[in-house]
Amino acid sequence: MSSAPIAIPEEAAVRRRRAKGLLSQPLAVVGLVIAVGWLLVASFAPLIAPYDPLAQDFALTQAPSSEHLFGTDELGRDVLSRVIYGSRLSLPLAILLVALATALGSLLGAMAGYFRSWVDPVVMRTTDLVFAFPAIILAMVVTASLGPNIRNAVLAIVIVAWPSYARVVRGLVLSIGDTEFVHASRLLGSSSRRTLLHDVLPNLAGPVVVLATLDLANAILLLAGLSFLGLGAQPPDPEWGSMVAVGTQYFQYWWMGTFPGLAIFSAVLAFNFLGDSLRDRLDPRGVSRSKHQGVA
Amino acid sequence: MVLAIGITFVAFVLTQLVPGDPALSALGPVTSADPEAVAAYHEHWGMDKPLPVQYGTYLWNLVQGDLGVSQLSHQPVLDDLRHAIPATMELAFLSITFAIAVGVPLGVIAAMRQNRASDHALRVVSLAGISMPTFWLALLALYIFFFRLDWFPGGGRLDPGTTPPTEVTGLYTIDAVLHGQFSLAWDALHHLILPALVLAAFNVSLITRYTRSAILEVIHDDYVRAARAKGLPERTVVIRHVLRAALPSVVTVIGLVFANVLTGAVLVENIFAWPGIGQYAYQASLELDLPAIMGVSLFVAVVYVTVNFVVDVLYGVIDPRLRLT
Amino acid sequence: MHRAAHVPRLALAALVVVALAVVAVVASVAPAAGNTTAAEGTLVVDTSFVVQTIDPARMFEPTSQIAVKGMYDTLVTFRGQSTTPLPWIARSWKVSKDAKTFTFTLRRDVKFSDGTPLTSADVLFSYNRVINLKGSPSFLLAGVKVSAPSKYTVVLRSSTPNPALLRIVPNPSLGIVNSKVVKENGGTDAVGGDKTDKAEPYLLGHSAGSGPYVLKSYNNKTEIVLEANPGFWGPKPTFQTVVIRNLPAATQLLNVQRGTNEIALDLSAQQAATLRGKSNLKVITNASANLFNIDINTDPKISPVAANPHIQTAIRYALDYPAFVKLSGPGAVQAPGMIPTTFIGHLPPSAKIKRNLQKAKAEVRASGISSPKITMYYPAELTINGISFATLAQKTKSNLAEVGIQVDLIGKPVNSFLETYHAGKHPMSQSYWGPDYPDPNDYLVFTPGGLAANRVNWAASKDPKLAALAKKAQRTVSDAQRAALFRQIGRMMNQRAPFFPLFQPAQAIVSSGNLTNAVLGVIWPLDVRAVGTK
Repeated sequence: MSSAPIAIPEEAAVRRRRAKGLLSQPLAVVGLVIAVGWLLVASFAPLIAPYDPLAQDFALTQAPSSEHLFGTDELGRDVLSRVIYGSRLSLPLAILLVALATALGSLLGAMAGYFRSWVDPVVMRTTDLVFAFPAIILAMVVTASLGPNIRNAVLAIVIVAWPSYARVVRGLVLSIGDTEFVHASRLLGSSSRRTLLHDVLPNLAGPVVVLATLDLANAILLLAGLSFLGLGAQPPDPEWGSMVAVGTQYFQYWWMGTFPGLAIFSAVLAFNFLGDSLRDRLDPRGVSRSKHQGVA
Repeated sequence: MVLAIGITFVAFVLTQLVPGDPALSALGPVTSADPEAVAAYHEHWGMDKPLPVQYGTYLWNLVQGDLGVSQLSHQPVLDDLRHAIPATMELAFLSITFAIAVGVPLGVIAAMRQNRASDHALRVVSLAGISMPTFWLALLALYIFFFRLDWFPGGGRLDPGTTPPTEVTGLYTIDAVLHGQFSLAWDALHHLILPALVLAAFNVSLITRYTRSAILEVIHDDYVRAARAKGLPERTVVIRHVLRAALPSVVTVIGLVFANVLTGAVLVENIFAWPGIGQYAYQASLELDLPAIMGVSLFVAVVYVTVNFVVDVLYGVIDPRLRLT
Repeated sequence: MHRAAHVPRLALAALVVVALAVVAVVASVAPAAGNTTAAEGTLVVDTSFVVQTIDPARMFEPTSQIAVKGMYDTLVTFRGQSTTPLPWIARSWKVSKDAKTFTFTLRRDVKFSDGTPLTSADVLFSYNRVINLKGSPSFLLAGVKVSAPSKYTVVLRSSTPNPALLRIVPNPSLGIVNSKVVKENGGTDAVGGDKTDKAEPYLLGHSAGSGPYVLKSYNNKTEIVLEANPGFWGPKPTFQTVVIRNLPAATQLLNVQRGTNEIALDLSAQQAATLRGKSNLKVITNASANLFNIDINTDPKISPVAANPHIQTAIRYALDYPAFVKLSGPGAVQAPGMIPTTFIGHLPPSAKIKRNLQKAKAEVRASGISSPKITMYYPAELTINGISFATLAQKTKSNLAEVGIQVDLIGKPVNSFLETYHAGKHPMSQSYWGPDYPDPNDYLVFTPGGLAANRVNWAASKDPKLAALAKKAQRTVSDAQRAALFRQIGRMMNQRAPFFPLFQPAQAIVSSGNLTNAVLGVIWPLDVRAVGTK
């Protein structure tokens, strides 16, 4: 490894700097506010939404009015209520799939970097294979084959997303593994598990957290993109991407597609603001920069 | 090569998991009830053979340059790809050109004004750019610039009924110019602009951000200071030294941008009725057209390998440090 | 660092130049853009493509029908919305009393586009090719033997009485091909043609017909271009060129408002309604013969809930028919029975089922099933007449919830939907039937033991009385007697059949205001040879 080993400063100091730094960034604050806002909306959707998102109670395709702030859709449902309930699908699923991808990718990456031998080439060739496909094309084939529904869409995105974690974590494990203090701790007789847990893992956290935050943004986009193509959420579930898709069939009723689109945009923006600010703090070397691989 | 076999294998396994039988929708509601007709269809498309045999046959034909016949178009996949790939390539090239032409200058601005208002504004704008769902942007663009303002045509590669130029490269704009058909070239370009701009939006943001950080990494290097100290005009310093040093990183991101454009193409081509690889892939996977899916997968893999190779080569050419070693 | 300020200015300048260039370029074309949409003499038909092939003997898709109808002639034809068979290549015909033998006398002045005269040998070749290729349209001639006793006489013999045959013959799949050309290019009409016929690639690049148009170019993803046949034997068509272009419905809506000589075929009646009153557009909504319905499975092994007769009756009365009609837009009507209102033997409007929630709830109670639950499948992604099956399925779910029946929706891609549907495995399906030919015989598939009935496991043995009536109707020749029989069957079906007819939509055709005859055909979506200008 030609790159310089990561400096390992005193942990407390790092934490102080991180906390202070993040809140002093307006972008991070804005991102955090929107993200927390959406999470609150998702948690309390039944209290906030003016109507039942599935009730086909109203006149079809009404323009926005004081009764229906975002208008009604082609089945006479309240678009605002559907956008609000949509957060209950997009956000938890994005969080879930990023968690799965992080866990899977980090585990495989750490194994590849730590044990090397045959594990490394196998994992790395697999990541090559996945990277060779643009994310959405692979996800499209996977969901089309397994059957289009939201569970398979999540599965497909996990399959697409894990390799970036594997690569980042493997790279870090390799570089940290070569640093003197790890050699030292090995010489001192630490078991390999201990070395991994106590010395290697804490140094992975920063880049992985950054990657995961940015990936949340990507996951929301990709999930919406698949649903837009009809391969994700199925009706009558209120999902933002599929709502935009229906909106495209009813061009003249602009509110049907515009508002769900804005919802996607704002949620994605929030995590991008947050992730970008975090990167400045947690990952100054830009290990996680390889993100922003193709999304919707 | 290993990658190619891996990809065909994965695509093959995936499509075999599918419960649907293409014969049913291909034959229509009445004829598909006739087992004899379904059997004839299966035999015609080789679906009556055991799976390993089907896969083996596919690989054997592949080696001979035969990608099979699409169940959907009834035409050789190779022919389909030959039409679809240039369409997407034309879109991709223009889009990437836009993205570079706008993204690099913006990145320079952001870096030179680091931590000033314009830098912050650009950061917000570029983050917004990567947060915009492409399919949504495409719709808005179509609505505003085609329907409301009528500045651009509403889809397709040429005006309806226009005969495409005789094929040389398959890129209509270039072929038309080669044949001196300038109004045709204009027609093709006119159709290209809107989808290319929509596809570029994400990548402008990406390139801006990469350029910015690449420049920040070199701007305080000694040779830049030395150049300044020599009293060279700032413009010369930036173009000759700073940008040059930052170029390798920019080239790397262009590899990424290429992948993004292919991804975006799936969504954008659908909305703009652009007969490219994205639409082909989408229809193939909806209809489970196995030869077509495998063809697209192979193509994508080839692009990936090629782009990586080109990026590596460019890297060597433009990075003085790498050349030394 | 103060000198750095110059640099951004430079970069900014570059940006401004790029931006200006784009704007200038755009501005310079903007006025031209409107005119370039359609050249003089070019008709543009916008539709979302459903095309597998344009080989007449293999094709059976709506978009292919538009193209094939323009390039190939049939023995008999329909004009506009009428279902009366009219002479075309056949100038007259005779039908035997038992409706088994049909003798056609051909015109003698018909020439293919290459100048070869059309004779009975070409008809014989074309029909036998359809039969032996075993492709999608081969069922049209099931049980029919073709012969050509003289140069200008063709005889069709059906093994059973076939009163519908005259209304089958106009189908574009039975277009007459130039047998010499097709044979030269690998075509055959012999038995085993499904393996030996190699003419499709040729027919995707060239037409071999006698119609007013010849194929100029074919691409099943983008456009099919037809050009006037200079040697056409009949009246010249209005347009020199016809472009059938693949566009999603949303884009069609925008394009047709911008274009000249343009027709949009896939707008829903709802979308089309928003365009009414625009002076440059003509909106025609024709009643469509497409029937949207719900199927329910009669096999208790598939779903004991769905197969329960009380539950079936409950569903019949729980569906909000007027709401479905409203969903599908202005011009749609509730289907009184399974036979569309444009064909003989259909039921009068008074036979329509009326929603009755009390009765439906009582039937749910009578079934003895507490909190009944049924899975309903629908073809996701499928949109017909601008109506998406996903939308209909959601309406069904919400209707049945009102009487306490829970419906779980599963949308599947058309292919896998059809696979399980044909196998009779769906407890309930959101379904649809488009006529193959405009005759009530096409609807016998819904009677017990029929093709569609088998998909809900409704065998003849489950309702022998209805099955016997159906058999009788099929063999009856007189239209008056057939109409009475089909109405009797229809009334019984409305009581106990596992099919719930919902509505017939209106097909909207939106065209530039100067076009005439841009109307929905009975079998084909549009007859391009008839379209003219004011």
